[in-house]
Amino acid sequence: MNKWLPRIWIGILLVVMIASIPACLSSSADDGGFLNLTAKQSTFDPKGPLAEQQIDTFYITLWVTSFLFLAVGGTYLVAIIKFRVKKGDDPNEIPEQAHGHPLIEVGLVVASSALLIIIAIPTFSGIVLMHEIPEQYSEEDIVDVNVIGYQWWFNFEYVEDGFVSANELVIPAGRPVRLNLITKDVIHSFWLPKLSGKLDLMAGQINQMWILADEPGYFWGQCAEYCGDSHAYMLFRAVALEEDAYNEWVAQQQTKTVVEKSTTPLFLSEDDDAGLVALGAELFQGNCLTCHSLDPAQQGAMGAPNLAHFGSRSSIGAGWLENTWSEDGSNADLHLWIKDPDSVKPGNNMWRGFMKAGKHDPNDPKDVMMSGLNQADLSDSDVDALVAYLRNLKHPDAVQFSADTF
Amino acid sequence: MATTASPEQNSHDGHDEPTFDGVITRPYKKTGLVGWLTTVDHKKIGVMYGIAALFFLLVGGVEALLIRIQLMGPESDFIDARTYNQLFTMHGTTMIFLAVMPMSAAFFNFIMPLQIGARDVAFPRMNSLGLWTFIAGGILLNLSWFFSEGAPAIGWFGYAPITSNQYSPDLGTEFWIMSLQLLGIASLVGSLNFITTIINMRAPGLSMMRLPVFTWMTLITSFLLILALPPIAVALAELMFDRHFGTHFFNVAGGGRPILWQHLFWIFGHPEVYILILPAMGIISEVLPTFARKPLFGYPLIIFSGAVIGFLGFAVWSHHMFTTGLGLVATTAFSFLTMLISIPTGVKIFNWIGTMWGGKIRFTVPMLFAVGFVWMFMLGGFTGIMHSSVPVDSQHQDSYFVIAHFHYVLIGGSIFALFSGIYYWFPKITGKMMSEMIGRIVFYTMFMGFNLAFFPMHMLGMTGMPRRTHTYKSEMGWDGANYWSTIGALILGLGVAIFIINLIYSVIKGEKASKDPWDARTLEWKTSNPPKEYNFAYTPVVHARDQAWEDKHGPEEKRMVKLAPDHHGIHMPDQSWWPLVVSIGLFVLGIGVVIHATDQFAWWQVMLPGILLTIFGIIAWSLEGPGGYHIFPDAEDQAELDEEAKSSSK
Repeated sequence: MNKWLPRIWIGILLVVMIASIPACLSSSADDGGFLNLTAKQSTFDPKGPLAEQQIDTFYITLWVTSFLFLAVGGTYLVAIIKFRVKKGDDPNEIPEQAHGHPLIEVGLVVASSALLIIIAIPTFSGIVLMHEIPEQYSEEDIVDVNVIGYQWWFNFEYVEDGFVSANELVIPAGRPVRLNLITKDVIHSFWLPKLSGKLDLMAGQINQMWILADEPGYFWGQCAEYCGDSHAYMLFRAVALEEDAYNEWVAQQQTKTVVEKSTTPLFLSEDDDAGLVALGAELFQGNCLTCHSLDPAQQGAMGAPNLAHFGSRSSIGAGWLENTWSEDGSNADLHLWIKDPDSVKPGNNMWRGFMKAGKHDPNDPKDVMMSGLNQADLSDSDVDALVAYLRNLKHPDAVQFSADTF
Repeated sequence: MATTASPEQNSHDGHDEPTFDGVITRPYKKTGLVGWLTTVDHKKIGVMYGIAALFFLLVGGVEALLIRIQLMGPESDFIDARTYNQLFTMHGTTMIFLAVMPMSAAFFNFIMPLQIGARDVAFPRMNSLGLWTFIAGGILLNLSWFFSEGAPAIGWFGYAPITSNQYSPDLGTEFWIMSLQLLGIASLVGSLNFITTIINMRAPGLSMMRLPVFTWMTLITSFLLILALPPIAVALAELMFDRHFGTHFFNVAGGGRPILWQHLFWIFGHPEVYILILPAMGIISEVLPTFARKPLFGYPLIIFSGAVIGFLGFAVWSHHMFTTGLGLVATTAFSFLTMLISIPTGVKIFNWIGTMWGGKIRFTVPMLFAVGFVWMFMLGGFTGIMHSSVPVDSQHQDSYFVIAHFHYVLIGGSIFALFSGIYYWFPKITGKMMSEMIGRIVFYTMFMGFNLAFFPMHMLGMTGMPRRTHTYKSEMGWDGANYWSTIGALILGLGVAIFIINLIYSVIKGEKASKDPWDARTLEWKTSNPPKEYNFAYTPVVHARDQAWEDKHGPEEKRMVKLAPDHHGIHMPDQSWWPLVVSIGLFVLGIGVVIHATDQFAWWQVMLPGILLTIFGIIAWSLEGPGGYHIFPDAEDQAELDEEAKSSSK
């Protein structure tokens, strides 16, 4: 009993451990492949020079530490097995009381320092690569984008081309993109694993990083610094396009989608009920326009995503929900997002409004500077109208990107 | 039992007696509630540290399990986003400040004075102040759950500006600030005490290079604490000023720089990592030689590398900030220094293996935990080397890979070592043995549960899962690893639960321990189990590094000599109420500062009474004087001493 109970229990635990291996080797829920290596945010699947240098350096550290593990762990294992008290050994036997061996000790220190040099070399070249765009690219090749973080979404400002986009970063493949990282509130972190490691949007300073996508593609990214209630819902997408497609996309984004100084759509789809869209335009004017700008060149004063081209964006609510339009023009996720944003992204300003400085109770009118949708009392049919309206905020030739586009 | 009597009955010459007791009569009852509340006995204080630390370990563990259950499946709504954020904040803060640190402090208190042949620590009442202030801080932090907006949701390193009034207007953040300040006071008081004790109160002949490694690590850890705590105290005070008085240390709009918080926090926070692991290394360096029946391999190098780790620990803090945009030069420098610090850490592993090589290894439960520690710590060290490389770190930072890394170091490292210490010193502390069979079950359950919980996290991090996210989409491919990680965490939790049952059972009904159950090597095993209140009936004169071992197996000239006490008897410290009163004063002050933020209480309503109580306690403490009295060895010890005297006079 004394002997077998622990052994049986250990056996059960071992079975559990073994049972876990298949699930950890490949996840059935997705197309991430063996060990999930090609998953949406996998660092094992680099698509640009930075991520590639980073995973290569990782492999070097992996080989070095694996070697150490085999050498040190192997010795350790031998020591455990060879020098254990075995059956029939004299329990009172006293082994030689050796106090150490300076040569062995110093030798091991020197050897481990040498191993560190193997890691240091790619590390330092990697640091330089992250900080400076290689000279082979001229200043004209470089696209400048300001990445502006808010709780909880990313704004992308195309400095040279004069427009803004939200939660969807579109870049030309093969050209370096310089990102100026700015935050409007707390610290966020820009992480697009397949293109590069992360850099923080640090409050009080502007950080700069660069990325480059080798080929056109669709990428998933996420805020990687804890930034409050809905941190887990602060995601974004990146799209790399061929040069021509990119230029076309820029031209489309620069186009206005509503009549000057109004909310009336310029490119009304024939499928849509014009009356419903007009109602939506009116509701938008009343409830949304103060924060959400419809002019692609202007960011709204309160700092909310620009919606000029919302109809062709690939996601809603900073990448958490897909922007999927069904045949009849409805969009269940968008409906939910407008009707009850707090259930999708708790704590967001669209729902609770903006508080006065130092105040923080959204339910106390004295604290609220500008009320949010929690006071708007939109009915389901109102929301339907807004959905129909938002669908028309896009360029008529716009492509809605998705992973299937490539 | 020793002669117990009131100070009056045992006083001599009056040279060390207070002329008056100050405000109230000094307590001298050694048993019951009063005995525990007013004790200055390092052993009782150590036990209370241990019990409180185990309690908070369970609290933090339950928080961890709730976190894991939430993450078991994608888009789970078991707990909401804000509660999740509170849970990980409290889990981190609790485990670091209320579980691992005080558990180490428990051993510092109980074991270190015994290892150096001292009768108590240098400042017994300060020791008691450290304990009660720690408990006050722990209670204050956890009180936050019961106030309107609940616990803080700022992460355990509370990066500005999310801690500002604007983004965290809740009371939880106030509780967090004040409790960390109290815990800082507790640690500072304790550290100064341990340093003084180790430097001044070693037994004759116990030179620094004969000190047991655990005592050495206590010394180094204490130095780290007194150097690392001021920056965090400054940072917390600045944050408090920002929140209460409208200063702009971390407020960008007012010209402040949030990056300052990160520098101040990590210049504390990185040494803190070593504060958590050095005591663990000390325990391992005691357990491995005992059960390999060999002296520690390369003792001087182990001590030296411990000191180098402590020193370099202050020069690598920015490796927590590689992604904050430090610039090329600073990033490169900190990357290089971080690689350097892996060398002394590696040295320790080499020497532990060297210790076991050629030994006669007995796999008792403490040894199992120690052997498990070396495996887990090795793995955690390897991922640490990976993080020293900035390009690699830029992908790993704030991902689950980092979570895996530091749990390998802190659970596989610190917690396993502390459990090894509990099993190893349990007979010393209680005079009873813990069950070997249940101990084995506990070890294997924890070991496998731990690896199942945390190994898959490496993969989660590499495939892009950021930490501190309360949920994730199934399409990211993280389901399988998260599911099994949760299973592993539950198994780990089960292991700890069995351990607690084992512990309580053994305290009550454990088999009686012999005087030297492990064939141990260091001085603490020369005392009885549990030690008498005066620890040693004699003054030990030390002649060797592993004195207890040499006495059993060594040559004649290395044997310890016992100096019997003179006719005064053994000098013991007096008990006192005032450390407890000062701690209660600090606690009330803490509450006062917290609820002052609600604008419903003026400063004089709660804060002022707290300040007054603290000051009153300190004044009464100083009026009371150091006190002290004498007792004589009990009959058993006296007989032994007489025997010794007879044989040496022959």
